[in-house]
Amino acid sequence: MSNLIIGASSGLGREIAYEFARNSKNLILISRNLKDLEILKSDLEIKFKIEVNVFQLDFSNLNEVSKFILDNTKVLEKIEGVLFPIGMMKENDNVKNSNDDLISIFSANFYSINFFISHILNIFEEKKGGFIVGFGSISGAIGREINVSYSSAKRALENYFESLIISNLKNHIKVQFYILGYLDTNLSFGKKLLLPKGSPVNLAKIVYKNLNKKGVKKFFPFWWIFIDMAIKILPFSITKKIIKFFN
Amino acid sequence: MTKKKIYSLDKNYSADIFFKRPDKYKEIEIVSSKFDNIITMGSCNSYTPASFRKNALSIQLTKFNRIIEFDKNQKLITVEAGIILSDLFNFTLARGLWVPQIPGYPTITIGGAVASNSHGKSCGFHGTIKKQIKRIKIFHKLHGWLNLSNEENRDIFDLTIGGLGLTGSIVEVQLRLEELSGNNFVTKIIETDSSNDAVKKINFDVKKETYCYSWNRSDSFKNFGKGFVFQNELNVSSDNKLTKNIKLNNSDINKNFIINFWNKYSVFFAQSIYQNYFKFFKSKQHEESFQKAIFPFIGKEFYFKLFGKKGFLESQIIVPFDKTEVFIDEVETIFKKHEPLITLYSLKNFKGDQKNLRFENDGICFTFDFVKNSKNLFFMNELDKICEKYHLTPSIIKDSRLKLETIEKCYKDFNRFKEEINKFDNKRIYKSTLTDKLMI
Repeated sequence: MSNLIIGASSGLGREIAYEFARNSKNLILISRNLKDLEILKSDLEIKFKIEVNVFQLDFSNLNEVSKFILDNTKVLEKIEGVLFPIGMMKENDNVKNSNDDLISIFSANFYSINFFISHILNIFEEKKGGFIVGFGSISGAIGREINVSYSSAKRALENYFESLIISNLKNHIKVQFYILGYLDTNLSFGKKLLLPKGSPVNLAKIVYKNLNKKGVKKFFPFWWIFIDMAIKILPFSITKKIIKFFN
Repeated sequence: MTKKKIYSLDKNYSADIFFKRPDKYKEIEIVSSKFDNIITMGSCNSYTPASFRKNALSIQLTKFNRIIEFDKNQKLITVEAGIILSDLFNFTLARGLWVPQIPGYPTITIGGAVASNSHGKSCGFHGTIKKQIKRIKIFHKLHGWLNLSNEENRDIFDLTIGGLGLTGSIVEVQLRLEELSGNNFVTKIIETDSSNDAVKKINFDVKKETYCYSWNRSDSFKNFGKGFVFQNELNVSSDNKLTKNIKLNNSDINKNFIINFWNKYSVFFAQSIYQNYFKFFKSKQHEESFQKAIFPFIGKEFYFKLFGKKGFLESQIIVPFDKTEVFIDEVETIFKKHEPLITLYSLKNFKGDQKNLRFENDGICFTFDFVKNSKNLFFMNELDKICEKYHLTPSIIKDSRLKLETIEKCYKDFNRFKEEINKFDNKRIYKSTLTDKLMI
């Protein structure tokens, strides 16, 4: 049995791969960057003596994802669980995005994940077990001026995972969803941020520890729950004024 | 792109730089394409400004820290250049293998060790890291990805080892590993009464695999050179197998206290305590863990912090064996005259052929740490004159104050190295504050 990590070549995905490897779990790693995946595979196999398989796949292309699922049915039948530490942002993602940008951002951050899970669910239902872990973003809490489509897709993903948790409350499929604030990855490297960054290593440990729990929805770092609550409690008319004041 | 103010470890140089820490191979290419001036950064533990330059891009490769290949039978390991020594050794030591030519602090990256042609305490026996490097992969903005070895791009391979990062970003390194026959070390402490006595006791048997260095007093002319020689030998008979794992201290070596605590009284006090501790309380022969013998600075980071915000200066000079007596004589003369404030004075053996800008030669390596003040700067200028007079080898990577004039006189290949670099990188993309000072 293997564990499938989508978006494993860098950031959080890479740390999750190490956490699973430390726990002697075999892995299937997927990412757009084959060179990075192959190096990660070597390192994991040399250090932890586990079996690692890698596949190059671009989640921003739904057709490619669909073809991968068709071509690798046997591989997918043997997986224990699937994790989606994946996210794609584009420069100049604002309220006026091109069709191509919209399709790729929404595919990578929502459609392809949704589509992939739909197939995996059939396998897990048949096996009467399995886990699915998704990662949202605090950026989905409210509309914004930058990363507009990204945050919209993450908001949709949160909604989808809530549905997934609710739909699987009575069976053996375990679903986790983490809403991420600032993480200490290369995307936030060197940036001066208002709040401290969370460690992806710690998050990977938490994810692994919670694998057997059903229906987890958490914020990481935890203090983002209070910000999220504040945003949701305040009427939009007031939120709008606060944003205007800070701009 | 992030902008950041960054300091050399000795705190003598700082610059506002653009900073990027990629974690994908493609990203190295993308970020490199956006800048005309680039330099690669490891852990930023270099005493000198070797990994940054004002308004240039520093590419930090600490996320490139993985093991790509390992062949235990052939004793070969291929790693990404951002792997730090402690991570590399925690893997290899468990398999009875290691690289002996490593600098004394475990957070230094392999890429940094290659670019500075690092050495360890056994450099009189093992030479420098150059001996262990089989292959290097670099990325250069103009030349793309290049494999370097004695068989492929040999000239660039030679320029890259100890080449201060001027041939591009070192991304992968294949190293020949050596067997480590013991589990820990036996340390012998031998008392010395002068610098000349320390030289004799250090240079006792260079054919033996000994990790040998001295600690000498420098607080006054009367005490100058008194101290100890530490001889670490591998302890083959020891059953203690738990000593090989390297544990990092959380202390940030780059962060200093606000004020300088070193003055002639504190140096006298610290050196007296240190000497008396080893003289009266420490056994003359004792077992030491791998970590303590090879990385003695772990847990002693406060030594650097005590220099305060103004920082320190270090001078490291290789003196050929036949010139050690005259060198010590000259140093003692200027020491008596100028009374510099030297916080650390140490000797070790060295072996190698001086080529390009590599800090290598056969002889004794003298190390002095100074508080940064005008009296000490004057003393160091006098040391430069001694280096020029006797054609000694001062370290470029340790002494950020070292003048171009001295380097030109002491490094016979300096101009040829400069020409070769200009030929390879005619747009001079890869530069640092250090190499600006050298006008390369």
